[in-house]
Order: sequence, then C-alpha cells, then structure tokens
Amino acid sequence: MSGVLVIARKELKQLFTSPIAYVALAMFFLITGFLFFSLIGVYTSQVLQLQGPPPSDFDPTRIIFSPLFQDVSFVLILLVPILTMRLVSEEDRARTMELLATSPLTSTAIVVGKYVASLVLFAVLLAISAYMPLSLAVMGRLDWGLLAASYLGLLLLGGAFLAVGLFASTLNENQIVSAAIGFALLLLFWVLGFAQQASGSAVQQVLSSLSFSTHFSSLASGVVDTQDIVFFLSLAGFFVFLGVLALESRKWR
Amino acid sequence: MIQADSLSRSYGERWAIRDVSFQAREGEILGFLGPNGAGKTTTMRILTGFLAPTSGRASVAGFDIVDNPMEAKRRLGYLPETPPLYDDFTTREYLSFVARLKRVDRRKVDDAVDRAMSMCGVEDVADRLIRNLSRGYRQRVGLAHAIVHDPQVLILDEPTSAMDPRQIVEIRKVIRGLRGSHTIILSTHILPEATALCDRVIIINEGAIVAVDTYEQLAARLRSSEKTLVRTARALGDLAARVGRVPGVLHVAPGPGRGEWVVEAALGRDVREHVARAVVEADAGLLELRPLAMSLEEVFLKLVTHEDEAAADGEREGARA
Ligand SMILES: Nc1ncnc2c1ncn2[C@@H]1O[C@H](COP(=O)(O)OP(=O)(O)OP(=O)(O)O)[C@@H](O)[C@H]1O
Ligand SMILES: [Mg+2]
Repeated sequence: MSGVLVIARKELKQLFTSPIAYVALAMFFLITGFLFFSLIGVYTSQVLQLQGPPPSDFDPTRIIFSPLFQDVSFVLILLVPILTMRLVSEEDRARTMELLATSPLTSTAIVVGKYVASLVLFAVLLAISAYMPLSLAVMGRLDWGLLAASYLGLLLLGGAFLAVGLFASTLNENQIVSAAIGFALLLLFWVLGFAQQASGSAVQQVLSSLSFSTHFSSLASGVVDTQDIVFFLSLAGFFVFLGVLALESRKWR
Repeated sequence: MIQADSLSRSYGERWAIRDVSFQAREGEILGFLGPNGAGKTTTMRILTGFLAPTSGRASVAGFDIVDNPMEAKRRLGYLPETPPLYDDFTTREYLSFVARLKRVDRRKVDDAVDRAMSMCGVEDVADRLIRNLSRGYRQRVGLAHAIVHDPQVLILDEPTSAMDPRQIVEIRKVIRGLRGSHTIILSTHILPEATALCDRVIIINEGAIVAVDTYEQLAARLRSSEKTLVRTARALGDLAARVGRVPGVLHVAPGPGRGEWVVEAALGRDVREHVARAVVEADAGLLELRPLAMSLEEVFLKLVTHEDEAAADGEREGARA
C-alpha cells in the first residue's frame, strides 16, 4: 500500500513538472471551451425562436451539456493516450524500471501507483471543467441529476481509458508508439458500438455491449445503470491487470 | 550472504549464463571479472530479482530471490550498468524518493539522504537537476542511490565506468570504506580494478565461471610456466627424461591421452624447437606439438589489462593524499 503511494506521488510530481500535462490540459480546455460556447450559441438561437412559453421538454441541460459531453468523450480518446504514454515507456527508456523492479514493492504496486496518479490528474481536469455548468447555474436552473450522472460517466469512462493507455505504455519504450497503440485500442473499443447500427445479430449485440460509446451514452442521458458502472470498472480492472502481467512477464523474457 | 546455485539463463535459444554457482561471504568484496558479453550483468540482474533464472536458485541474506523477493530486495542495493536516474528531479529529491521506495522509515529519510550524499561526495549538486549533471556525477548519484537505505548487500555493475581518473580513485575509496559492514559484488572488465578493490575474484567467460580465487593466487597459477603439449606415435619410457634434459624445461608430465606429454618451461622461454628435436632424435614419432592455452589465460587476454596512464597517476596521487 505504501509502495502505491510512493509511486503515485512520484508520478504526479513528474506529470506536473513536465510540459505534457500542461499542453494536454490546455488542449482540453481550448477544445471543450470552444464547443461549450458554440453550444450556448445554439441554445440562444433556439430560445429566440421560441414563441410563447417553452414546451415541457425544452431543457437547457439537454441542449447544451448532452452533446458537449458526447464530444468530450471523443476528445478523451485523443487526450488520454497523451497523458498515459510516458507512464511506463519513459521508465524503460531511462532504464529506471530497473530501480523500481529491484525495490521492495510488487509489480501490482508499481502499476496501481501509476494508475492512481493518472486518475488524480484526470480528476483535476474534470473538476476544472465544472466551470462550464457552474457558470450557467448562475443564470438559470439546470438539471443537476443529469449533470451528476454525466460526470459520473466521464469519470468512469476516463478511468477505463487511462487503464487502456497505461497498458499500451507497457508495450513499448517509445512514448509516441505507446500513444499510438493506446489511441488505436481506444478507437477500436469506441467503434464497436457502430456495429449496432448495421443489424441486430447476436455477435453485434456482444460487440456493442463491449463498446465504450454504448455504455457512456446511457450514463450521459441520465440513466445510472449498475450494468454500465460495472462495465467500466471491470474494464479498468482488466487493463490494469494486463499491465501488471506485462511487467511481471518481462522477468521471464 | 549471497548464494548462487547453478544459475542458468537463456535469451531465446542463446544461453547468457550456464550453471553459475558461487557465494559471497559476509563483509567481503567479490569481483566479477570478465570480458564484454561474459554474462556479468545477466548474473547480477538475476541476483537482484530483475530477471528470473531459467534454472537454479539464488538467495540474498538468506532470502530466496524468487520465493521471497520482498525480504531479499529490502536488504539489497543495486547500481545497474546505466544509473537509473530521473532527469527532472534534483539529486536530493531523487534520493529521498529512492529512500521511501526502499522503505526507509519516514522520519529517517532526510538523514539517510544526507549520509548517502556525503559518502558519495554529491552534496555540491544536492539541489541541481539531475539532467544537468556530468556523467561522473550521475554515476556518483547512482552509487548514492544504491546505498541510501544502508543495505547489507551491494551489487554494483561496473561502478567506475564513465568516470575520469580522479573520480575513479574517489569512488574506489568509497567502495573500500563500505567493505566489512557490507557484502559487495562488483563487476568489471578491467583487470587492475579487480586487483585494486576485491578480496576475491570470480572470472567469468562466455557464461561460465572459469576460476574463483584471490587475485594473487590466480596470478600465480597463471604466470608460473609456459606449457606445451607433445603428442607422439609411440609411448617411449625414456622420452620424459630426454625431453627433461632440454635447457629451459622444468618438468615433464604424462598428458591426458596415450603418448601425450605436458612440457613445462620457464616463463618467457620458447623451448618448442629444442623439444621437437629431442623427440625426433628419440624416434618417438612426433605427431603434434602445441602450446597449451589454459582457458583462464584466454580470458585474461580478452580483459583490459591496463588502465589509462592517467588513471594510474591518479591512483598514486590518491594513495599519497
Ligand atoms: N535482453 C537480451 N536479449 C538477448 N540477449 C541478451 C540480452 N541481454 C544480454 N544478452 C546476451 O547475453 C550475453 C551476456 O550479456 P551480459 O550483458 O550479461 O554481459 P556482460 O558480462 O555484462 O557484458 P559487458 O561487459 O559488455 O557489460 C551476451 O552475449 C548478450 O548478447
Ligand atoms: Mg554488463
């Protein structure tokens, strides 16, 4: 346990002293900020077209935030591999894995420590992004239930993405290659959902149930289903486990 | 303290080491001497738990490195071939991270870091970023990281590589200072380094141990005589006596096969021509005559047997100081 904390602290320090974290954060806020303001534009024009009292299904949260979070989830496919690419690759390149692997801590502690650090960074990112709903809250009522479900969805989605990216980072000592592998894996999981639209055979049902987008959409529409939660948690657990295996298997190569 | 039993390791088809057994006694400095690619790093990686052996066992301070890695690793300090440094940390930040990683008690971390820094002479660069350190200082910080938790066992893979002669002298002083309180294994492919530092030397070549001894005894075994193998068609009884009378020949003994003799001559004397004549005159039927190169000698030939002139000067200066 203490090993996990020592690793996590070190990772956070490195993340926040390297330019990568800041470049990634800047990229994230630039894109989401742009999307946010253009969606506000959409909402304003809809309000102006209204005649008489708004219909019951006229809901600023659904008009602005549902599409926003859909887009954010797609931005994360690009962003997460950049956050995770150096986690293990850089240790391999700098030969520092030899220090970690010969210290009194397990491979599990190493991988989990790194995972925890990336989760913390991601949580910071989400917390800052809360400026968007909060700034609108001053002006009108929002559907807080829907927002909470969406943020839960983003956190779970991000958690699973980070685990995939971390695993990708164990495969190669070149950061760029690791980022590319992570990106490819995430994209693969994402497009599994498109199979659903083709037809309804059993195989496609299985594929779409493995897709990030399917499970995220239901959370982002305000439906908190344990199935979706379990899906993201087990996916995260599975890829963290694969990362541990990847480190452990190196001893035998 | 350190025990290795028939360690073998293969990379795919190739064997990097085969059937390596040895032990290091408490408080001694054991040198691992061998040419490039001999298997020194592979052996050390197995002892530190970085690699698993393909077969065989190893234990550190009584704990098996495969069955009980946590206990073994707690008692182990390891300086790999490339010092495992984080460029974006200062020396002090890095060493405190390592101390916590090695489970030094939280309240003792600062003291441990200060002690390691002063032992390795890196206090001047305590607050510099590691990225900006010279190679020699990086190596010293590497040594400091290996001893920060005051381990019983130290494993140092070529600790003086990449250092200038003065620094080599200083690092050797540090290592000598650790003798007695620590059991140390260090590897090198430089013969004088092994002589200067080690109580005992293990000579390893192509993945196998060739000899284990103190350096003086190895040298004595090696340099006492020139050996020549003579093979004859007929095993004549008086051949040994005849060859023995050749000037320069010290001793003639029966060789491993029928009609074979091992002729020992004084160091530096080539007696082959005269031995050949003696054998022919005895009409024993000379079939073969070749110098017997012991594998140990072959290994020594591949070692670096001279340090730079400058290094030797530095050593002398260091001794005087
Ligand atoms: N990861 C690896 N994959 C394949 N072969 C390897 C690997 N590491 C080492 N070897 C091989 O194993 C043998 C022993 O290598 P090792 O690094 O242990 O030698 P060494 O004695 O440390 O040499 P040096 O003095 O050059 O450091 C060499 O033939 C090397 O090519
Ligand atoms: Mg080596």
